[in-house]
Amino acid sequence: METNYLTAGPVSQKLISQLVEKMSHNTDSGGHSIFLGQVRADEIDGKSVKAIEYSAYVEMVNIEAENIKKKILSEFPDVKSVDIIHSTGIVSAGEISLLVFISAGHRHQAIQACSKTVELIKDNLPVWKKEIFEDDSHKWK
Amino acid sequence: MEVKVLFFGVLAEVSGTQLKHYHDVKSISDLKLRIYDDFPEIVHYNFRISLNSEITDNDLLLKSGDEIALMPPFAGG
Repeated sequence: METNYLTAGPVSQKLISQLVEKMSHNTDSGGHSIFLGQVRADEIDGKSVKAIEYSAYVEMVNIEAENIKKKILSEFPDVKSVDIIHSTGIVSAGEISLLVFISAGHRHQAIQACSKTVELIKDNLPVWKKEIFEDDSHKWK
Repeated sequence: MEVKVLFFGVLAEVSGTQLKHYHDVKSISDLKLRIYDDFPEIVHYNFRISLNSEITDNDLLLKSGDEIALMPPFAGG
């Protein structure tokens, strides 16, 4: 199923810079707030996380991400656009697994809306993660 | 009648499948009993249910073509 909210593998630097470039056309925006979620090499029971494998319920991600966008746009009237991209599949430690990009007329609402969007994603987006350790064992989070 | 059941996250691993079809199930509670019969381990896990991509805590009646998902706590980000 098609989605604008999921990408296979890590969120690439190219994807991030494409969004920044796209925003140059939004001349009514005075500020962008960007959140990048990165895979952390946590140490658990003496083993280090080398990657996370994400899985998602694609149909529901589309619905919930749309709901999040609508909620943010209605709560923060100065926000001009909300972009959300989450990884599926394997993302190695140090790579980016989540991008939230908010454009607003002014900085305050850009920053507040970005923070709120990340929290809504954590609570509502049907995504699951499996931590994969250096010895290829794994643990569901 | 036939419904489609999706297993996500750890539940896909525990059941050994991501998708299973069930026939002649009347309601969500009826379906849960059938799933527990097939995959007794699932009873030990915390999960929510969605019907056609909408989360529900109610024991709704099912109809042919419904899509039910078993979803452990979300862990995006």
